[in-house]
Amino acid sequence: MTEDYFGFTNKLFAPQDTDKKAEALKGIRVLDLSHMIFGPTAAKFLAQYGAEVIKVEVPNQGDYWRGGTYWGKYWKHSNPLWHFINQSKYFVAIDVKKPKGKDLILKLAEKADIVIENFTSGTVEAWGIGYSQISKINPKVIYASLSTYGQYGPKRYNPGWDLLAQGASGVLSVTGHPDTDKYFKVPDFFGDFFPGYYAAMLILIALNYRERSGEGQYLDGCQAEILMRALSHFTYHDATGNDLGRTGNSDPTMSPSGIFKTLDGKFLALAIASDKQFQSFCKALGREDLARDEKYNKAFRRLQPEHALTLNKVVEEWVRTKDAAELIELARKHRFAATEVMDDVQICNDEWRQERGSVIPFEDDMYKKLVIEGPIAMLSKTPGRTKWLSRPLGYHNRYVLKKIMGLTEDQIKELEKERVVGNWDYRVGQRPPIYHDLAKDKIFNYKGGEDH
Amino acid sequence: MTWPKTRYLITKGVRTIKERIYSRYLQKTSSSGPLSEWSQLLSKMMTSEGKPEALDDMMVLDLSYANFSGNITASFFAEAGAEVIKIEPPEGDPSRIISPYGANVKGVGIPYLMESRNKRNVALDLSKHEDRENLKLLATRADVLIETFAPGEMDDWGIGYRQLRELNPGLIYIAITPYGHYTAKGKEMAGMPWTELTSQAESGLAALIGDLPNTPEPYNWPTRAGFYAAGYTSAVGAACGGLVASFFKRRTGEGQMVDIASADAYASCVGFPPTIGYVWKKPRFRYGTLDYGLCPYGFFKCKDSYVAIACFRDQDFRAAMRILGKWKLEGEWKTLLDRITDDIDKVKELNSEVEDAVAKYTYDEINEKFSSFSVKSARSKWRGGGLPVTTKMLTPKEVLQEKHWQVRGSFAKVEHPSYGIVTLPVTGKLSKTPLRVKWLSADIGEDNEYIFKKYGLVEKKSG
Repeated sequence: MTEDYFGFTNKLFAPQDTDKKAEALKGIRVLDLSHMIFGPTAAKFLAQYGAEVIKVEVPNQGDYWRGGTYWGKYWKHSNPLWHFINQSKYFVAIDVKKPKGKDLILKLAEKADIVIENFTSGTVEAWGIGYSQISKINPKVIYASLSTYGQYGPKRYNPGWDLLAQGASGVLSVTGHPDTDKYFKVPDFFGDFFPGYYAAMLILIALNYRERSGEGQYLDGCQAEILMRALSHFTYHDATGNDLGRTGNSDPTMSPSGIFKTLDGKFLALAIASDKQFQSFCKALGREDLARDEKYNKAFRRLQPEHALTLNKVVEEWVRTKDAAELIELARKHRFAATEVMDDVQICNDEWRQERGSVIPFEDDMYKKLVIEGPIAMLSKTPGRTKWLSRPLGYHNRYVLKKIMGLTEDQIKELEKERVVGNWDYRVGQRPPIYHDLAKDKIFNYKGGEDH
Repeated sequence: MTWPKTRYLITKGVRTIKERIYSRYLQKTSSSGPLSEWSQLLSKMMTSEGKPEALDDMMVLDLSYANFSGNITASFFAEAGAEVIKIEPPEGDPSRIISPYGANVKGVGIPYLMESRNKRNVALDLSKHEDRENLKLLATRADVLIETFAPGEMDDWGIGYRQLRELNPGLIYIAITPYGHYTAKGKEMAGMPWTELTSQAESGLAALIGDLPNTPEPYNWPTRAGFYAAGYTSAVGAACGGLVASFFKRRTGEGQMVDIASADAYASCVGFPPTIGYVWKKPRFRYGTLDYGLCPYGFFKCKDSYVAIACFRDQDFRAAMRILGKWKLEGEWKTLLDRITDDIDKVKELNSEVEDAVAKYTYDEINEKFSSFSVKSARSKWRGGGLPVTTKMLTPKEVLQEKHWQVRGSFAKVEHPSYGIVTLPVTGKLSKTPLRVKWLSADIGEDNEYIFKKYGLVEKKSG
């Protein structure tokens, strides 16, 4: 008999082999002119799979999200939440508003395969580093302009970010409990991260096309539009004439479904998707009469609001009599879906995630240990990986300007004197951790030669 | 389309208030060459007609079963031009019956209808030998295969990655399951099916939505994001992974396996939970309508709607306090450090002051006040005046009526002989190879004849 399936897959995906494997996007250079989360997330995805991402920021200021954090909590002079978004990138600080700075950016763009920006519509064009300028010197470039409302349309100049995009796209209006006056936003900047990955997907589509045709192109990534793509509410509205509204903690597409409290005070999410699952769920519940009842045995009838409500009441009472672990074991045995609601600490310490490589206790040269998320997709031959965490503002100036642009130390010093390139100004988020000895740092003081 | 197209592109025409505020870089250069060039490019992007498709050299098999993430992943490939063959058993994929309140058009649920774009529908009975052979025939020709069965199930049938890669070394095999196709838990939990709600719960999303701890049950319980937040996140992750693999294949000819765990996809997307768990050492509790980072930052109830008040910088905060007639608060809450939201009782004070102020106005009044303040402040040489921004919360119904999305063609309306006219959101504006919706196909086995003939499949013996 052949090898056990999991024996085969465990070897196929073994996280300890990741560093020995190839990188799919090796040799692809990305110029990341974006800031905050939406654009940098798209660039980060490409960096995880091997692209060389050069992030350009404003000297002495940097990306605004460097200095942002939750609850005012910083970590080693950095925003701990910024590292995941800006891992494995090269950090240069160039002032685009100085003519020499603009020239430097154009020269970098000439050598890039992909350019990403997320300013309000038209801003980069006015600065002279937009698609119409860069495509002239680099016709094969893939240029992604990412913004909340897109590059054209009557609202194109409205600025926006996660919160506004959630409001404008309808996402905000569907989360919360019906008959209350509260609408909850989807937390943790979902409205930036999800469109960021979507933009990465569009860039990869363009990259695949370029590989066959040799042609680059322009991409108008619209944040609110991307959020709208994830709602079935528009199709539902036009098919039924109704707005779906808010649905609390149950899922109106599955019945029964909800988040319930267990005997041991934990929260359990449970949902039944198919008729087959409903049959075996009723067995676990000890209510096989429900499985035979005409009101419930077919999904479309079971999903009717009044029937769904009755079933959810039954489940709520049942869940209250059992511990979470026991319920999950029943779900596993009877093949229906039930899990505990996981919080930050549980996810951080989850053995499954660590074994899978979804949560990584990462050892960084500069910041030492930080637990971060792994890549969203596990690839057997070209897995994603983290090479380093983020770096202080302008940390790779010398590395990038010498290695890629061929500038000399004197030329860089001249540019620094003219404030065209620069570093941090000692505000939190920009500077290196206090224990880090910059004088001994070979990358920061890059002289030429070895790779990084 | 009858919209005066050029009005919404960069031209020298009349500008709205918003444009006057936020396009100050453009005002200086609007008549120069590059902008009109760019404007021309944008006007060509308003339609996808006659343009090539990026992935029309790819063939994708969509075997997703009772798992929406699979259907959605396949949709993305289909919108980019790949030939996507949706394969389901003769009785249909159970995701057909997953629909809000059971709403359906002739027996097909709304989400399924929405993700049936540009696909070919083929019915194969994979419990039968002939159809497994048919699947192998298709898989030897395919670039991508998407499946959502329990880990090891396809392998047991002799059509898993292990067997198919022998037939087609270039195959990209995308598997989407709750816990993935490897690890001890993946094996233990192999039988646990996918649902959207459990994916949200296990990946840390539900734990963060809901009202503050001291509010009554169940409002302070973990709450579901009211749409397929985890489902679409898994799908975009799968498509991204598949496209990275496809790029590698174009360079080396090699295929590979792509594994998605939907119980972790949302956490991998935002990345915050494990880092916060590690650095903070304690989990966050639910914050109601407040924000973990800033205050005031959120949607507030006004007379006729909900309006966004978002104060990033100190100058934006000062501007908002002036406009809302709450200047007396400025002294106490002056800097960002004063408005850090870790002391919930303290920020609730500020938040409720803002709530009271906003409740006195209609949305239009607030918007007008914010806009005229910003116009003045943008004109001022002193940039410390702040540019307060606001927007209104829209329901899906209102979004559908927005002129902006009509101009951009964000909703496709497609007609199908069985399902009538269906509205579908679509986005992916690439200048040369835009994503698009060409048709809907949702009848079981609708394209059997076409695909069987095209790929030389063997018809089942009758009876």
